[in-house]
Amino acid sequence: MVASAGSKKRKAVTRDVEEEAGAFSGDELAGDLNGALSDSANDLSSDEDDSEVELVDEFSSDEDDDEEEELDSDEIPSDGEDAVKKNSAKLTAAPADDESSGDEAEVNFRIEKDANGNDRYVYDEINPDDNSDYSDIDEDSNTIGNIPLSFYDQYPHIGYDINGKKIMRPATGEALDALLDSIEIPKGFTGLTDPSTGKPLELSQDELELLRKVQMNEIPEDGYNPYEPLMEWFTTEKEVMPLSAAPEPKRRFLPSKHEAKRVMKLVKAIREGRILPYKPPSEQEEEDKDLIKYDLWADEEERPDHIMHVPAPKLPPPGYEESYHPPPEYLPDQKERKTWEQADPEDREREYLPTDFGSLRKVPGYGEFVKEKFERCLDLYLAPRVRRSKLNIDPESLLPKLPSPEELKPFPSMCATVFRGHKGRVRSIAVDPTGVWLATAGDDGTVRVWELLTGRQLWSVQLSDEDAVNVVRWRPGKDAVVLAAAAGDDLYLMVPSILDPELEQASLELLDAGWGYAASKPAPSAAEEGKKTPPQWIRPSSALTDSGVCAVIPLRYVAKSISWHRRGDYFVTVCPGASTPASVAVAIHTVSKHLTQYPFSRRIKGGGPPQTAHFHPSKPILFVANQRTVRGYDLSRQLLVKIVQPGARWISSFDIHPTSSTASGGDNLIVGSYDRRLLWHDLELSQRPYKTLRYHRKAIRAVKFHPSGRYPLFADASDDGSLQIFHGSVTGDMLSNASIVPLKVLKGHKITGELGVLDIDWHPREAWCVSAGADGTCRLWM
Amino acid sequence: MNGTQDSSSAASAQRQVRVQLVSKQEDIALPENTGPILVPTGLRRYALSTLVNNLLANDKPVPFEFLINGAFLRTSIDEYLTANGISAETTLEIEYIRALIPPLHIASFEHDDWVSAVDVLSATSSAASWASSSISPGQERILSASYDGLLRVWNMSSQIVATSPSAVDGGHSASIKAAKFLSPNSIVSAGLDRTVRLWKYAESEDGFSGKIAPQLELYGHKSGINSLAVHAPSNRILTASSDHAVGFWSAKKSDAPAAPENLLPSAASRNSKRRKLNSSISTPQRGPLALLSSHTAPVSAAIFDAKDSTVGYSTSWDHTLRTWDLVTAALVDTRSTSHSLLSLEHLPEHHLLATGTSARHITLIDPRVSATTISAMTLRGHTNAVVSLSRDPHSSYGLISGSHDGTCRIWDIRATKTDKDGVVGESVYSITRKSLEEAGKADAKRVGGEGVKVFGVCWDRSVGIVSAGEDKRIQINRGEGVLSSA
Repeated sequence: MVASAGSKKRKAVTRDVEEEAGAFSGDELAGDLNGALSDSANDLSSDEDDSEVELVDEFSSDEDDDEEEELDSDEIPSDGEDAVKKNSAKLTAAPADDESSGDEAEVNFRIEKDANGNDRYVYDEINPDDNSDYSDIDEDSNTIGNIPLSFYDQYPHIGYDINGKKIMRPATGEALDALLDSIEIPKGFTGLTDPSTGKPLELSQDELELLRKVQMNEIPEDGYNPYEPLMEWFTTEKEVMPLSAAPEPKRRFLPSKHEAKRVMKLVKAIREGRILPYKPPSEQEEEDKDLIKYDLWADEEERPDHIMHVPAPKLPPPGYEESYHPPPEYLPDQKERKTWEQADPEDREREYLPTDFGSLRKVPGYGEFVKEKFERCLDLYLAPRVRRSKLNIDPESLLPKLPSPEELKPFPSMCATVFRGHKGRVRSIAVDPTGVWLATAGDDGTVRVWELLTGRQLWSVQLSDEDAVNVVRWRPGKDAVVLAAAAGDDLYLMVPSILDPELEQASLELLDAGWGYAASKPAPSAAEEGKKTPPQWIRPSSALTDSGVCAVIPLRYVAKSISWHRRGDYFVTVCPGASTPASVAVAIHTVSKHLTQYPFSRRIKGGGPPQTAHFHPSKPILFVANQRTVRGYDLSRQLLVKIVQPGARWISSFDIHPTSSTASGGDNLIVGSYDRRLLWHDLELSQRPYKTLRYHRKAIRAVKFHPSGRYPLFADASDDGSLQIFHGSVTGDMLSNASIVPLKVLKGHKITGELGVLDIDWHPREAWCVSAGADGTCRLWM
Repeated sequence: MNGTQDSSSAASAQRQVRVQLVSKQEDIALPENTGPILVPTGLRRYALSTLVNNLLANDKPVPFEFLINGAFLRTSIDEYLTANGISAETTLEIEYIRALIPPLHIASFEHDDWVSAVDVLSATSSAASWASSSISPGQERILSASYDGLLRVWNMSSQIVATSPSAVDGGHSASIKAAKFLSPNSIVSAGLDRTVRLWKYAESEDGFSGKIAPQLELYGHKSGINSLAVHAPSNRILTASSDHAVGFWSAKKSDAPAAPENLLPSAASRNSKRRKLNSSISTPQRGPLALLSSHTAPVSAAIFDAKDSTVGYSTSWDHTLRTWDLVTAALVDTRSTSHSLLSLEHLPEHHLLATGTSARHITLIDPRVSATTISAMTLRGHTNAVVSLSRDPHSSYGLISGSHDGTCRIWDIRATKTDKDGVVGESVYSITRKSLEEAGKADAKRVGGEGVKVFGVCWDRSVGIVSAGEDKRIQINRGEGVLSSA
């Protein structure tokens, strides 16, 4: 502490003035040493100044030395220094000394004869007394002033002292050496005088030996063994039991308040910045200025990574098998070694064979080193590295959480009844609104009505001998039972004779009421006739009348789709044939008026002739599908209100969700297409499909929603002979979308002539569905 | 090897349990009260049966079934004890009954068209018992209703004793869906022509010819009739129709109200041909006592309560079973299930109604108001809709069902197990159609029982199991051993 305080003090004094000292005592630790050594160091330097280095260091050290000496002389007058000075004075001004010692007279001059015999006043040297200001003038100092020493290069002296005497140039190295070489120094010469004897002090052999030992850091005393065996005072063994049973004093457990105080002092000083805990590392860099360093990246600016930059992959760290001395389990056996050696280098699993060298010094040079490094460089340089955004996602978690089909029961899962009887394909199928009967129509030109549960045929009618019946549909509503069928160019409205008299009467009356209306209507004018004449409804032939047909509409084109309005007064037919004029392709028929109208005068835009059409279940909107789009027309306002673009190439059928536009759901549409897609549209969301289901291998022929809101089911029928049942629940919540769960694939229909299942329908109440197959059978699934 | 086997069998033989063998049937009861017997727990049904036969000292061994706590023993006693957590130290009370013999095919009667319903007139049939007339063995009659609109009465040697008149002569103008003997000399039938017809059945003395003559036509339903039930003592008929109504009729001309005019066939004035179809024979026409309409879908079956003829039950496609008070024609109770119900049978001893569903199983429903659970038990095994049910005349636990999958299955409601769906029963025997075997396609899998659907089944004590179906046959099966000892 004392030393450090001293150094601090010293620092405080010398900080401004003395650059050199500051530099020496730069760091705190070295400060002590500097402080201790500074005197002698200065002494040494002053020594040098006076003796040797005078020539070189004259100018630089002038002032410093003066001040230094002043300071030193103020504090500690040192004998050694004076002695040395005297010596040097002797060396330099020997003649002058001789003169001055000889002159001792009253007057301060004497008269001498010069070479010519004239008087010459020789003045004594001025000897200033104690009163003089220059009491301590260094007599030997050069007084030439501030001129370069080189002016004296051609003279034997180097200037003048205060008395005007020449200061002779000191002997240079060679001369001095020659002088020293000429002097033979005896052994033990010290150059000192023994004060007791007055003889020159010479050291004896023992003393020299002692000195040598001291210099060599050896123990000077003879016969001292530093490595004597340790005599243990007690024991070095760590004992289990303490020597005394005295409890540990309390102070060992209590933190020292005194130390805490000191630490806090230090902490406070550090906080206030009075103590710098760490030295700023700037001074190190200033060293070695003469060493020139070229910083290649001095003006390097940091560039942002290129977006495609990919850092080279790191090589994996070497494993055990790459060791020079691998564990035995990593060493190949004979067979593995052989296969490795026989394998083509490119086919080898790894490029080296684990080898046991026993020790590192037995490891030979690696022959493949250059090749390997070259290939590594090639790899780094040439390997195309592409940043792939790899998603680290468990694919299972991406799958939507679908409820299991077991929870979504009931849905049709087994074939309950097979309806056989049709010859040729069954093209259309429909369950009546009461759910008791099933109507089918097929290529044999018949329409048949079956008992749904047992599969018993109850009624049939031969509508046409050569043309197939393309479609048959029941009129909705339970007040009357009417079947509409399209065979060939005509539409037929029938009342099957399976009804009780009252209902039959009601149905007949419903169909007969229009005859009078049609008759009362004025005949179309000639102009209208020229444009397009809506067909007049006609009475069927008596044979057909007997079998239940009540009215025939000669459409003149082949209708492939019939769809009833939910109230049962209208139905829409579509003739998709390419030869059908666009204006008569879609027709709306009013049963109560026996009236047929063509709502569209021009072709519907966006792809081909119209394919099928349905009325919206609650709004006065007619949806018409052509090959690529489904369009919704508001019939009362004569406006196009919706366009749906499923993205299918050829729409085969579509259906509107029964709860569309009611409180429990928005408009939802399913579209089936010949290019194997089943598309779910939420009309609120987009024109584009909300879900696309591609589960069939062949064209989808028909799609149908379950007509009651009770079961959120829909099904499709495909040419691959299968039906697929889906659960598609529509919620009233606008935020949640419909969830679609595939439930069941129903197989059973045989593929006949590339055609599988041609039509499907649902039971109005139960989760039962019926399908019509190209193999001539219909099936009930429940 | 032998040593280890011996030791293991010895170990199993060491466990023994005390059993008390009892029987409710007098003829097979043990001669004296034998008291508890110590038996090894490794015994199964067969070993127990041998044991009982030994105790009874039967010359000809009779197979027995064993009931522990009302459930059939299907495993070893040891496994049963473990499964039910019963200590082997308790005394087990085991009831033994005669095992059902697999029903054997007796005969098949061929028809021209699908057979929709069968009924049996025998000494033990309800029609005969109501009329308290005795029918000697061998003189049993089988009534079949066919889709060709004709009723046929067969004797046991596969001869048609009588055929109902055709539509022209006052018969059904469409398929008959249900027919029952009301008494030994009257028949009730109903079908898709929406009428219930009462026929007078008379046989000649020799019993080889008979006559079915129209007696009464009942109009009232607006759609086809699916099934009917009769109760002769009160002369009441219940019908179930697709027009969502249950018809309640009187079989007595004097009781019945007049027929509704608008439903008479003459009202249909559509075409001349149909009018020609109307019969030349005039039969009295009557209307329903009541049309019970609260179902919202076609009614599939309606029956009288087996003990109380003033209570009726009906099942419908609207998933409900409804209880009716027939005196006031009021709806008493509605039990909703989750499937369409297609057939109904009453098990009065257990206060249960068995109903066959479109979901291929039979549900046992407790119709009592106090019952908390709707479905007491589910009998699973059929692969298509169950459309016909009949009680086992020998046992109050037995039941037979006819299904569209082409099989009749015999159930015992004691042969159950409990799984996640509750108590589930499994069929004891399954009777396939003989027509399939004859065609050599017995093992061929029929999709939906195509061609062999069973439409009606009737189990009579003396005749056996009579079933009718899509294969245009009546098939008679009989459990030989049971019937011989009965």
